[in-house]
Amino acid sequence: MSCGSGDSSCEKPRRRAALVLLGLMALIFIALSVFSFLPSRGQATPDTVSFGPYQANDGKRVFQAYNCMGCHTMVGNGAYLGPDLTEVYKHAGPAWLAAFLPSAGGWPTEAAVRAQLLDPNQHAGTGTDTIDAYLQKYPGAAARIQRRGGGTTLMPNLPLSKDEIGQLIAYLKYTSAMNTEGWPPKVEAGTLDRRLQLAHGTVALAQAAPAAAAKPAAASDPAALGAQLVKDYGCVACHASDDKRLVGPGWGGLYESSVSLADGSKVTADDAYLAESIRQPNAKIVAGYPPGVMPAYDTLLKTEEVNAIVAYLHTLEKQ
Amino acid sequence: MQTEYQTQRLSLRFFMLMLVLFVVQVIYGMILAAQQVDPTILQGWLNFNVARAEHLNLGIMWIVCGFIGAILFVAPLLAKRELVAPWLVKFLFYAVIGIVIWNFFTQFLAERGIAGWWLGQPWLQQGLEYLEAGRIAGLLILVGFLILAFVVLRTFPRVREWNEVHWGLGLGVGALAVVWVFGLFYVARLDLQEYFRWFVVHYWVEGVWEVIHISLIGYFLVLMFKADVKSVGFAVFWGIALVWLSGLIGNAHHYFWIGTPEFWQFWGSLFSALEPLPLVFCFWHIYLDAHTNKRPLENAPAFYFLLGSTVLELVGAGILGFVMTFALTNVWSHGTWVTAGHAHLALFGTFGMLGIAAAYYATPILRKVPQFDPRLGKLGFWLVFTGVLGMAFAFAIGGTVQVYVYRILGLDWFGGDVNRAMGTYKVMLPLFGLVLSTGAGVLAYDLFTLGRRMRPQAAVDAETTPHPATGWRRPLTGFEAGIWLLLMWLFGTIITLGLLSFNLPHVRVAGDPTLPYVLAGVGYPGLLLVTLLFVWRFIASLEARASAPAISPLLRVLPAQG
Ligand code: HEM
Ligand code: HEM
Ligand SMILES: [Fe+2]
Repeated sequence: MSCGSGDSSCEKPRRRAALVLLGLMALIFIALSVFSFLPSRGQATPDTVSFGPYQANDGKRVFQAYNCMGCHTMVGNGAYLGPDLTEVYKHAGPAWLAAFLPSAGGWPTEAAVRAQLLDPNQHAGTGTDTIDAYLQKYPGAAARIQRRGGGTTLMPNLPLSKDEIGQLIAYLKYTSAMNTEGWPPKVEAGTLDRRLQLAHGTVALAQAAPAAAAKPAAASDPAALGAQLVKDYGCVACHASDDKRLVGPGWGGLYESSVSLADGSKVTADDAYLAESIRQPNAKIVAGYPPGVMPAYDTLLKTEEVNAIVAYLHTLEKQ
Repeated sequence: MQTEYQTQRLSLRFFMLMLVLFVVQVIYGMILAAQQVDPTILQGWLNFNVARAEHLNLGIMWIVCGFIGAILFVAPLLAKRELVAPWLVKFLFYAVIGIVIWNFFTQFLAERGIAGWWLGQPWLQQGLEYLEAGRIAGLLILVGFLILAFVVLRTFPRVREWNEVHWGLGLGVGALAVVWVFGLFYVARLDLQEYFRWFVVHYWVEGVWEVIHISLIGYFLVLMFKADVKSVGFAVFWGIALVWLSGLIGNAHHYFWIGTPEFWQFWGSLFSALEPLPLVFCFWHIYLDAHTNKRPLENAPAFYFLLGSTVLELVGAGILGFVMTFALTNVWSHGTWVTAGHAHLALFGTFGMLGIAAAYYATPILRKVPQFDPRLGKLGFWLVFTGVLGMAFAFAIGGTVQVYVYRILGLDWFGGDVNRAMGTYKVMLPLFGLVLSTGAGVLAYDLFTLGRRMRPQAAVDAETTPHPATGWRRPLTGFEAGIWLLLMWLFGTIITLGLLSFNLPHVRVAGDPTLPYVLAGVGYPGLLLVTLLFVWRFIASLEARASAPAISPLLRVLPAQG
């Protein structure tokens, strides 16, 4: 130790050495950074990913505009109120997302996801056209529907437009396609039943499936059948039974009232109008609502079922 | 000590603004903690993401106010002349208020999905964690940093005359502005966006802020304990050098999983593991320098917070950061409450407490009440200190449960599975938050009214009779401080092993959480208790100093610098 730390003739060269070392590290850092973003790495980029007509690039802007990262993590960064969204597309798929995002306050039912599968973009995006094939391909959607379908979530309804939803799906498709070096780590702890058992000490499956539970034999009273149908098909995720606005207009007191349409005209909400609004909701758009948010239930519901829902709507008061 | 330069008074308004923003920030924190328990609280009026954006924004703003106050206070002393352009400093003050109010309103736009896109940039708010401010506020903040850098650098003497503290602060205020620029561009690729977002976040806290912190701590030690400037300079130089030598590549610990290549796992694990070194070094120096003179503490609250800042920098930033800086531990802690425990203890502990320390040091001098009543300040210290330790505990243990349920068991339903498992800790968080908030209120009240309140004479007398310096109050030796330090690292190691143990097949495949739970259950409470006891012990020994036998000079382990 000929070179005491108090000796300034030694201190100077030491300090210079530290600065040289720092410069060297900066060079290493820059080199690593350049390698990280070379195209040869084959990392997914947003400009190559789309969902139907929607671009991942636009979806990223929507994601930032709603500050999704303020409640969720993305590649693990963000807030811890809700789940990580990096791989939600991979697990739950676009139809589940399309059913969930317009009315994030409620969990989609199977019928609500099925309604989304009628959309040609969904066909093209998933390569499946039956709900069974879809749920097979996206087991995360199956698990969500089974355990949560029809229940309320902890997430607020956000005023997302149809285009924004498509763009978000494209963005989530991009993040699912990214190589994140194995994060989030693969789950290796066995079947869902076993994992639930480990978490809660009981098999929680049966208890948490409000929609899958008691499917009562078809009610004889049409209004009662309608009330059951609007739950099964997830309508109530977007529509209130009073006159409050959720994602769509509330139903209370709607029957026989006068409705202003987006084109400036007025119609009376009679049976024909209500049935059409279920079958082809985009034929007449209510003033103040964006078009294209609600799926068309034309091929999903039988005529008696549409009539039953209309009969149920008759019973709802304004409040 | 008296005010030597008139322009030092400008620091006072920044300290008062700091306190206001601090109080508002913890109110937002309480709202967040309540919403974590029940997310439907205030839903639709003040969604969690908006409250969180404000909480983070204000957190940064008040800490920066503390820095500005402290720097404005010491800059004339370092320069031996008045600040240049005091009108710019006044303008800066109103600009900060304007930006805070602007952010308050623009953050609400996230509830409607309005970012204010124009020319490809989000001008109103941008929805990125820590960089939530939109481009308008971002550019204004840049102007603010430039004003600060201009005032400080023009006030300082010529570079040839700079000592290490000048260098630290000069580089610090310059780099503050430079690093901010990386957050002022919209980036379309997620991996590249995160890459640059961490430039701002990581290089700020683990590069620039630490440098400002070391320099200010060093200089306050000179002011408070008449520590040798040369010796402090030695500590400041090597502190900064170690911060940058480890932290420059250490940024890689944010590049493990964002879509950048695997090689970052090697560089990040290696270099960021060295990041605690300067913090241990700084910790040791405050021990040494606080013992250079044996006189009783003149300004107890200022020293309490200075000590708290250094200790929590070691524990909150150094140790709790270390435990999750390895790819093999980070893979589990990433994206969970474990990180939030670290965030609070490190950010509030290190930088928040430094600002409060500076306010306690400067306010009595500027208001000309050197003999102020320190009791509320001490009370406030213990409240915020225990509050933040408790919050770190709730976050860290809650996060450990979250890792198990969410990552090991892969249950991703927060409403149904994750929150149910974390429930106890989610409730514990606002309880400790309340302790911290009370402390914040006490401190704000005390500093606002300091020198404007009457001081009961009895209290003065009670205080001036020191306790005998024996037992718990006996002088703290270097050996004993070393033992405390070792204990902290021992518990840090236990926590690290706990996170590592999630990799074991017994945990990951068989699903048995006993080992990580036991290690976390020993490690976190152990670490936080040792921290609490050490600070108590250190303070007790200093407060009894008036009656202490002189400490042998042998205890100065590092030689004084020549
Ligand atoms: C447009 C931005 C958003 C998108 C794309 C989005 C997407 C999602 C998705 C897909 C899920 C279900 C994930 C799954 O089950 O795996 C979810 C759940 C959740 N989201 Fe969001 N979200 C957004 C904004 C928000 C906001 C602003 C908040 C909070 C104010 C929030 C809070 C939650 C919570 C708490 C859950 C969990 C719900 C529960 O467990 O019941 N989200 N989100
Ligand atoms: C009453 C006191 C406080 C309470 C109850 C509180 C509570 C919270 C909560 C609930 C979160 C959200 C975590 C999540 O996303 O799940 C949060 C985030 C955060 N808070 Fe606080 N907080 C308090 C004080 C502070 C202070 C004083 C600071 C620093 C000056 C601070 C800095 C932060 C930071 C940096 C984050 C983001 C953490 C991360 O993403 O890892 N908080 N806080
Ligand atoms: Fe975070």
